[in-house]
Parts: sequence; structure tokens; C-alpha cells
Amino acid sequence: MAIIEVKALTKDFGKVKALNGINFTLDQGEVLAYLGPNGSGKTTTIRVLLGILRATSGSAKIFGQDAWTNAVELHQKIAFVPGDVNLWPNLTGGEVIDLFTSFQGGHRPSLERRNHFIKLFDLDPTKKCRTYSKGNRQKVALVAALASNAELFILDEPTSGLDPLVVKTFEDCILKLKSEGKSILLSSHILSEVEKLADSVVIIREGQVVKSGTMKQIHKEAHGRTLEELFLSEYQTKRGRHEG
Amino acid sequence: MRAKAGGLPYLKFIFRRERLTTPIWLLSFLLFSTGITLAYTHLFATPEDMLLMAQTMTNPAMQALVGPVYGLDSLTPAMLMAQQLLSLMTITVVIMNIFLVIRHTRADEEQGRLEMLRALPIGRLTNPAATLFFAFLTNLALALIIALGLLATNIDGMQAAGAFLYAGSLGAVGFLFAAIALLMAQLFSTARGALTGSFVVMGIFYIMRAFGDMSSADSSTHLLSFISPLGLGLQVSSFYQNICWPLPVLFAQAIVIAVIALLVCRTRDLGEGVIPARTGRQHASAFLQTPLGFTWRLVRGNFIAWSIGMLVIGATYGSVIGEIEQFVQTNEMFQILLGISGDGAEQAIAGEVAASFVALIMVVMAMIAVVPVILIISRLRGEEKQGRLEPIFARSIKRQHLVLLYTIIATLGSAWFILCAALGLYGASIPSGLLDAGETIRSALMYAPAILTLLGLAVFLIGLLPKLTGLVWLVLGYSFMTVYLGPLMSLPDWTAKLSPFGLIPQLPVQEFSAAPLFALSALALVLIFFGIKSFARRDIGRI
Repeated sequence: MAIIEVKALTKDFGKVKALNGINFTLDQGEVLAYLGPNGSGKTTTIRVLLGILRATSGSAKIFGQDAWTNAVELHQKIAFVPGDVNLWPNLTGGEVIDLFTSFQGGHRPSLERRNHFIKLFDLDPTKKCRTYSKGNRQKVALVAALASNAELFILDEPTSGLDPLVVKTFEDCILKLKSEGKSILLSSHILSEVEKLADSVVIIREGQVVKSGTMKQIHKEAHGRTLEELFLSEYQTKRGRHEG
Repeated sequence: MRAKAGGLPYLKFIFRRERLTTPIWLLSFLLFSTGITLAYTHLFATPEDMLLMAQTMTNPAMQALVGPVYGLDSLTPAMLMAQQLLSLMTITVVIMNIFLVIRHTRADEEQGRLEMLRALPIGRLTNPAATLFFAFLTNLALALIIALGLLATNIDGMQAAGAFLYAGSLGAVGFLFAAIALLMAQLFSTARGALTGSFVVMGIFYIMRAFGDMSSADSSTHLLSFISPLGLGLQVSSFYQNICWPLPVLFAQAIVIAVIALLVCRTRDLGEGVIPARTGRQHASAFLQTPLGFTWRLVRGNFIAWSIGMLVIGATYGSVIGEIEQFVQTNEMFQILLGISGDGAEQAIAGEVAASFVALIMVVMAMIAVVPVILIISRLRGEEKQGRLEPIFARSIKRQHLVLLYTIIATLGSAWFILCAALGLYGASIPSGLLDAGETIRSALMYAPAILTLLGLAVFLIGLLPKLTGLVWLVLGYSFMTVYLGPLMSLPDWTAKLSPFGLIPQLPVQEFSAAPLFALSALALVLIFFGIKSFARRDIGRI
């Protein structure tokens, strides 16, 4: 069953075409890496999937339901981690985690589970968010997401600012979620992370999908090149193609 | 001087960032000041007109509002203008300075922008020193253009010494508050804390001045007018005695405070304030976990601080009312005017003067009470701009629900803040026995529909035209100009009727009428309805 189904998705900001006919699907129990250079439209896609931006045309469906109209109900089963975590300076990390869990609704995770993840990520929940470093703010968002009982995880550069030890912990968590049959959309710039976690890959550039397929297919296409070399070549704007 | 390395490029950088905001402020001051001054020639064509106006101003209540009255023996329109406007102009200049300084110091620091700049070959004190210097230049420019603008009007009694003293007073008090804001930016670790601290200092000095100006010149309370910079600035007596010494005194005070601020800045760590950050709870309380509790938590500080503020403002004006009785006793003009005399008459006249004072003051307080209401609803837009609505709406929270919660809290505020002011007003007037509790509260709550209308407009803008949310402040500014200053400037009546505040009957002087209250409430509800509906449908993000 397709967890996410994006068809001919377009999003305009005034005259700028941020997304120009995006297509991809994410199946259950799958980790899909969503890649592309800065400004290619990754975050815009995610915001449309979260019902925060409204698609100009095309469709974005999650669990078979429209991401915009059914946003509130869908979000009970979705956990989200942004890459740039901005929190309320006068609330503590613990308060924010509780808040997010409570606002998510649906099946509420146990206190044990929450505390387990706080401990796992070595977070001090009594500190005010204004005193957290970028990495610690990121941990708050990660703990809130991972502790939830969501079915779908939308992660937008989730490991930015984290130390290698925490990144390792995070990767283990993702593999565990996968084994539990949860689905994950992972937007990341860390290609080694993608190689380790992803089942399939979608690469976009200037609002369009330039490459997609399973990890196996991608490996085959690489023809002896490393994956990094392959990704980098796909990231580059092929001027020749544009000029015809 | 390594601490101030890179000062010149930094100053250029501030000029670049301020190329729009500061010129707009300065131009508005120039237009407002010269425009109003020109009006004074038509307003007070004869010496009798001026004397009548001056007589009403010698009322201690009015002095508490606008400042000291002088030169009754040789009044000119220029003198009258200076007496009526300098206090109001000073407050606005002070507000400009506070925003200017905090914007470039603590706000930059809190957002982490200063850190990047400090990684460049830029000294520890470059940011505060350059900001202060820019503030100095701004106030200097302000003083020059206001003085030249006044001279250009060439109304009766206009003279260079008075014009430069009047404008110089504005610049000097403005610069002093730039220094005070700089000190606050060192004490508090957030921009909001620093802004609040600066405005509290401004409020305290305003109240000191009000008490000082309404007490007689030989009493010790009168000294308060000299201790408060807002009072000291008014002592220049422009176009009359033209007293110079307050200006160097204000400037010296500014320098002392600036030096203290720089010393504090030199010893503290980047990102820290003198008042340390505390740790908090490990778990969110059950109330905080509800959308209502969460929203309340975000606006709670504002709500409480403004409640206290409105109470204090009300109490300040209320304590003035006691002075009215004494004033009527000593001012024979009132008794002669009304052709009454005797023991009971004084009380009756005092009651009437008090009533007209309450009517005037209530509309002013209602317009002040709009500010916290708009701040509360604007918090929603602020959260959006900070990117903090995204993680909320990524959870199972309905947009209509969240915007409705903000609206409900702000709606309660529309009645609550003006009620606080009324309670303060009545409470402080109890010794005089001139006010009736029920009547005072009723005349205050009359304004709730007008405040609600502005709230409705704000919700409407946030939903439909989020980039133009600031327009609501413009409407408030217009209301203040036409309703409060309009009669002073003899603007036609219809200009005030375009503002919701002009439509509210001014109790207890005017007749009660329910129609405008219902009409405004209905308009507000319609605006809120469409605002919420559009908010649920539009893109959310840093737009």
C-alpha cells in the first residue's frame, strides 16, 4: 500500500515555480531518501505533504487521503522533524516534548517511552529552549517524533547539528522503526546516511524529479562509480541539456 | 581601542539596514510637527481664544496629561503649540529610540546574527557603540529637521531660539532613552525582556512627570518633574523663557548611562544577560498540554504586565481627579463663568469638570488598551514568521481552532484591559469622592466594541493579508489623531467618525446610545469570521 502518493505536484510562489510536476510514492515499511541540492524544492514538498502549503496543482496523498483537506486527521499518524528547529525560548525541552505529543493526539505514547528516548539522546529536559544549542534543539524535535506512535515519519535533514554518536543512535532508531513496518520519508544531505538507511531514492532539481528508483537500481546504474559521484553528477545543472 | 575595532564599517552597515525605517520615522515626525503647527494660526486667531485654551490647561488634570503651562501673560500660537505637543512628541521619539536600539543590539544577539559579526574582526563594543552613535546622529538629525520645519511655518511667536530648544529637547530626551535601552539590552537576555524593561522605565518616568507637573511649584512633589527626564525635557519653556540648561543635563545623563551600559557589555558573555536564565519543569503541566494552555502560556506575560500597566495608568489619572476640586476652589473664573457661588456649588462644578475629564481620559485609555489586544493577536503572526507554527500544524491541531483561541483570549482582553484602567481610575479617585464606580466602569466598557473592531481587523488581516497585519497600527494611529487630537486641531467631525473610537458615545458627558455598540460588534464578528476562515485556507510559512 502506498503511504505517500505524489502526482504531478506543482507549487508556485507568485511567478516562481518551486515545484514543477513532482511524482513519487513511498510504500509501507520503506525508507525513501528525498535528495536534491539546496533550494531544489525538498522542504516545499514536505510542507505541502504536511498541509502547511497548498498545492497549486496535482495531488499529494497520504494514507490515500488528501494532504491538505485531511491534514488534521492525518497528522495523528505522522511524526515530523524539521531541519531548522525553532522552539519557544521560555519553555523547557521537556515541556515542548509533552506539548508536541499532546498536540499530536491519537494513541499517546507512555511516559516510559518518552523518558527512554530522552535518556537515549542524552537530553536535559529541564533546560529552557533558549539555552539549547542547535544540536540539542534538534534532539528535542527528534525525541518528540521518535517517542510518538506515528505510522509515517517525515524527516527534513533530521541530523543537522548532531554529533556522530547521536547520529549513530538516530540511525539505529530508524532501522528499528523500519523493522516495525513504519514508513519514513528522509530528506538529507548526508549521503553516507542515505546509503545506510534508504530503500529507494528520489532526486529532485529545480522542482523536478531527475532520478528515482530503488537503491538496487541506483547501484546498478552507478557503473562502478561511488554513489556520491552519481548523486553529485545528478545535482549539477546540466547546462548542455538546457541549451538544447 | 581594540574593543571598538571595525567601527566605521559597522556604522555604515547600520546605515544600510536603516535606510528605510529611520527616514520614515523622521519624515513622519517632520510632517506631523509642521502640519499641526500650521493649524495653530487658524485655531487661535485672537488672544482671547488662546487665553481660554490656556485657562483650561492650567487645570492640574490637563497638566498631568500635557505638562507645565507657562507664559499666560504673553501667549502666542507658537508657545501654545509647544506646551500642548512637546510631551506627546517626546513620548513618540522615545519609542522610536527604544525600538531602534533594541533592534540593533539584543535582537541581533538573540537571533545569533551578532555572533557571526563578532567572528569578523569586530570589537566587543563595536555593536553597542556604533548603535549608540547611530542613535545620536538620528536624534541630531531629528532635532535639526524639526527646528527648521518649525521655523519654516513662521507662525506668530516663532523664533529660532525657541524652535531649536523645542527640537533639541526632543533629541536630548530621545538620545537619553537610546542609552537607557542600551543598558536594558545588557541586563536582559531577550529582546522582549529588554523592550519591556525600557518601556517600564518610560512609564515610571511618565508617571513621575505627571505627579510633578500637577503639584504646585513650591511643593516637594514638583521636584519629580525635574528628576524624570520626560519632565526635565519640558522645562525648556520654549518660545517663552527659552531655558537652555536642561539640554546639557539630559545629555550628560545619557553619557553616564551609556558608559555604564558599555562597561556591563565589556564584561558579560555574548548571548547572556545580567539577569540569568533559569531551568524549569521537566514535564509540561496538563493545562500546558492543551492548545488553550499553550496559547495562554505564550501570551501570559504580556497579559499580566499590561493588566498592571493599565491599572497604574488609570490610577495615575485617578489621583489627578482629587486635584480638580482644589483647583475649582481656587480658580474664581469657573464660579464667575457659571454664575454660582456657595459651598455646594464648588462640589457640583468639580463633579462636572471631573466628568468631562473622565470622558476625555477614557477614550485615551481605550486607545492604549488596544495595544495589548493587538499584541496578543499579532503573536500568532509572530509565531508564524518565526517558523514555529509549522511544528504545531504538523501535529493534529486544527488551524481554525488555534486562531480561534488567540482571538478568544484577545477578545477577553478587549474588555479586560480597559476595565483594569477604569478600576485604577476609580480606585485612586475614591478620596475625592467625585466619581461613581458603576458609571466609571460603564463608560469604560462602552469602548470594548471599538477595541473589538480593531481586533477583528487584525484577525482579518492575519487571515487574508498577513503581510499587511501592521495596517491595524495605522488605524489606531488615525484614531488617536482624529479622536484625541482632532478637537484640538479643529478637524471636521466626520474624520473622527471614521474611527471606531469616534463612534462610541463619550459617557458621562454624551448620551448613551446602543446602536453604535451593536454595529461595531457585528462588524468585528464579521471580520473575525472571514479572518479565521481564510487563515484555515492559506499557506503557512515565513510569508
